[in-house]
Amino acid sequence: MIVAKYRRSELISNYTILTILALFSFLPILLLFFNSIKAQEEFGINPLGFPSQIRFLNFYDAWILGEYAQIFINSSKLVIGTIVICLTCSGLAGFSLARLNPKGSTIFLIYLLVGISIPAQMFILPLFLLWKELNLMNTHLGLIIIYSGLNAPFATFLIRSYMIKLPEELFDAARVDGANTLQLFFKIALPISWPVFLTAGLVVGLAVWNEFLFALTFMQDDEKKPMATILFAFQSRFENNWGLVSASAVMMAAPVVILFLLFQKRFIAGLTSGASKG
Amino acid sequence: MFIKNYFLKLFLLIFSIIFISSNVFSKTTVVWWAEANADRDPVFQAKLADVFNASQNEIELVMEFKEGLNDVLRTAMVAGEGPDIVETPGPSYVKEYQEAGMLQSMQGYSDQYGWKDLLLPWSYNAGVFDGEFYSAPKTYETMVMLYNKTLFEEKGWSIPTNLPEYEALAAEIKAAGMNVFSYGSTGWQPTHEHLAGMYLNSVAGPDNFYKALIGEKKWNDPEFVSAVELLRKHMVDEGYWSGSLENYYALGWDDFHAQFGNRGAAMMTIGTWTFGATVSTFADKSDDWDWAPFPNLTAEGGDPSYLLALGTTLSINGSSENPDAAAKVMDFIFSNKAIVLDMANDFNFGEFVVPLKFSASDFGDNVNPKVKRYLIEFAEETGKGNYGYTTWTFFPADPGVHIWKDMEVVWAGDISVEDYMYDHEKLWEKARKKNQLLPVGKR
Amino acid sequence: MKFFLSKSFIAWYFILPAFVIHLLVVATPSVLSLALCLTDWNGFGKINYVGFENFIELFDDRYFKKAVKHNIIWTVIFLTVPISLALTCAYLLTGIKKGQLIYRLVFFFPYMLASIISCQIWKYIVHPLHGIVAWFSKKGFDIDPVSPFTMKETSLYAVAFVDGWHFWGFLVVIYITGMYQVDNSLYEAADIEGATKFQKFRYITLPMIRPIFIFTLMIIIIWSIPTFDYPWILTQGGPAYSSEVLATNLYSHAFERFNVGYSSAIGTLMFLYVIIIVGIFGILRKLGWEI
Repeated sequence: MIVAKYRRSELISNYTILTILALFSFLPILLLFFNSIKAQEEFGINPLGFPSQIRFLNFYDAWILGEYAQIFINSSKLVIGTIVICLTCSGLAGFSLARLNPKGSTIFLIYLLVGISIPAQMFILPLFLLWKELNLMNTHLGLIIIYSGLNAPFATFLIRSYMIKLPEELFDAARVDGANTLQLFFKIALPISWPVFLTAGLVVGLAVWNEFLFALTFMQDDEKKPMATILFAFQSRFENNWGLVSASAVMMAAPVVILFLLFQKRFIAGLTSGASKG
Repeated sequence: MFIKNYFLKLFLLIFSIIFISSNVFSKTTVVWWAEANADRDPVFQAKLADVFNASQNEIELVMEFKEGLNDVLRTAMVAGEGPDIVETPGPSYVKEYQEAGMLQSMQGYSDQYGWKDLLLPWSYNAGVFDGEFYSAPKTYETMVMLYNKTLFEEKGWSIPTNLPEYEALAAEIKAAGMNVFSYGSTGWQPTHEHLAGMYLNSVAGPDNFYKALIGEKKWNDPEFVSAVELLRKHMVDEGYWSGSLENYYALGWDDFHAQFGNRGAAMMTIGTWTFGATVSTFADKSDDWDWAPFPNLTAEGGDPSYLLALGTTLSINGSSENPDAAAKVMDFIFSNKAIVLDMANDFNFGEFVVPLKFSASDFGDNVNPKVKRYLIEFAEETGKGNYGYTTWTFFPADPGVHIWKDMEVVWAGDISVEDYMYDHEKLWEKARKKNQLLPVGKR
Repeated sequence: MKFFLSKSFIAWYFILPAFVIHLLVVATPSVLSLALCLTDWNGFGKINYVGFENFIELFDDRYFKKAVKHNIIWTVIFLTVPISLALTCAYLLTGIKKGQLIYRLVFFFPYMLASIISCQIWKYIVHPLHGIVAWFSKKGFDIDPVSPFTMKETSLYAVAFVDGWHFWGFLVVIYITGMYQVDNSLYEAADIEGATKFQKFRYITLPMIRPIFIFTLMIIIIWSIPTFDYPWILTQGGPAYSSEVLATNLYSHAFERFNVGYSSAIGTLMFLYVIIIVGIFGILRKLGWEI
């Protein structure tokens, strides 16, 4: 491991810098958490610290007012559906662009780059009309397809830039054994690239969980709406009820954090096993 | 015995199926999309939809509450979909839908049910496009000046009647360590246009404002320039609103109500939609509040005027298959003062104040006396012609956005007031050329 | 038949699903929208052809120019601050053993939050009445509790700060992914030659993670063009257009002022700008850069 070669003094400075940066990232979030269990009266007196009296009722109120049980399921559906569709498409495309280098692949890369940078406000209206025609309005499938399309370029790039680093010998060996292209993908590329699929899945899943502009426009039935639109509504409805709004923000973030914590070990293990020789 | 019982059950079953299904199939459904709001929704459902549905058995009114209604509605309308009853935030939206042929004329219904006699004349006129009635008002509002009555009595302050008094009062309030007005624009940037409308009317006068609306005066005429300059001075140099321009930008609805409630500010400039919130802000305070029309801000003074504004409008979707039923829903509202008053009273007349011709006898004892005084005075004074205009009810879309969005540029000192009003006039000329002007009743 | 099974064609079959889905969701509606840039459509009614009138007006529009400038500033900020922070952080992380997982989680934490949540947190912190700064000033500290989002001098930077706070942890994760691919024996060899920490970073880590590094540069340049969420939620582009970016300008024209044709013209120019950027990357790639 790289670690072994560091001296003690270096380690101390490393930890100091990292801790400062970590506090920068984390303190505001800690504040959000404190606020979520604070009573409304306490905000004026004690905006920063741990609440003097813990009030979990904020969560209960937010849960009931926002109908979170149903909304949690809606958001999960969208995330899982998008990850499956988007990563399948992007994995195949990324593999092809990294290892097969078809003629004209640069043009496709450029196409994807341009695709990433088009502002959503620009095409949301025509897309709406199109979805109406295709009867995809107000359905989870419709939104899943949109999210897959929106996230496909990024995932493709990520997967491609990982696969481009894979040693060619692996593929050559398999080709000698008579593997066809599809087998190269499933038997060689996929097993050693799964860390990047995890990363991509994480990023795409997050984007979907947190998205609200498209969800707001394409989902009209309240019982089908995902998390972000509900929080959005909350913020305007209960503007200065910081406790309630913070509690619902924490509830929106909690599943992601828990999943990431569970994933963390395998995620890191994947990254390290990809790095070690073999 | 067994058989008899069996047949009886079967009979009852078949009968009830026929009864239920016939009832369902014979009912016409009217869908109404309304802007979602946690406080409003249950009241609309219980006191309007449920009451209407119980009042007859031909029409089923379905209320659907939407977040970000404007955008959702527009995209749906362009696609030829949407609800039967179209709710918009004001005439500038109605104009766009009407121009695009997405609304049905309600002239026939208006004639049939006599809506013109039920509604206040100015509010009816604001719905007449190309000579036909297209949109009915759902709620009206005006700008008022709230003040802390207890504090005013303590200090011996009184409501100013002209500009010198106004500025003197402001100086006294500041000397007492308070902000002059409580108000802020976080969460609703167009808040600036409330102030713009008040100053333009109070300084330049409603007659000039009317002439500019119909194109007989230019917006960069000196009267209007000095009005905007006065607002700039009071906002930026003097910090009348919440202490400074920056704080005005940073405060939201709950903040400025709290500031007004706890003597952080002595007064508040706001629309009448505030009444509900203000009553509850002061519910547990020892201070009392009251309201006055925003004063005339000329050196010599004069009668204050009430700015006319429609909060929300109702129209019938061009693609609606049940316009007759939708019109019946509307008529139910306009011809039932009691229901309107009951609903509006739940918000202390901050919401759902359909501009009907109310008189003192319409009000029960449960109505807040300050609110009652407002409703009666408003009807009287506007009837006498003491009224001005708000920007959001009478300005076409482009100038309507410019008046508040670019006002920030004036306040930032990046553009002179003259240039700002010149740009504004140019946008009006453009709107006039494109036939985008909104209806305004003859003064 | 043989032709369609040729190596090149099979490679394209792999690309096809991603292409089709993107074409459907983004490309087709965008082209439809671009077509509107020569019209005066208001989003509701008749569509009239007006030639290049929108573009002529656009080049005269000082707030559009302001938005362009802000977008450039935005890009420069994101190309420098979060990247250098994240590189340092990822490199330092590879050098520690204990608590590494916790640090990594903490850095990634803000990225997991929805934009509406991060904005809510920071708006609260700097709130002039009940934020943290206000609290300190009430306690007697000599600071003016003015929200930086409401001052024209600072609003753009304040918004970029919040977006950067949320974004940089993502870069850390991306760089770490790359740094773990670096062969450890290279570092060992460098240690034998007595290389300093910085030298190892400069001559081993950086070249080895180059594809991922360039990838992030590209992503930042490209993503900063349509940036919308943070300016819109925090300031709506204000005060006085001081944090207006292209996407908020476009949105305002399309959804507030009913100038869909005009907003399509803005979109078209943004589109051209993207094509130029991508073109530059394309040329570099042609020149044999590994990107």
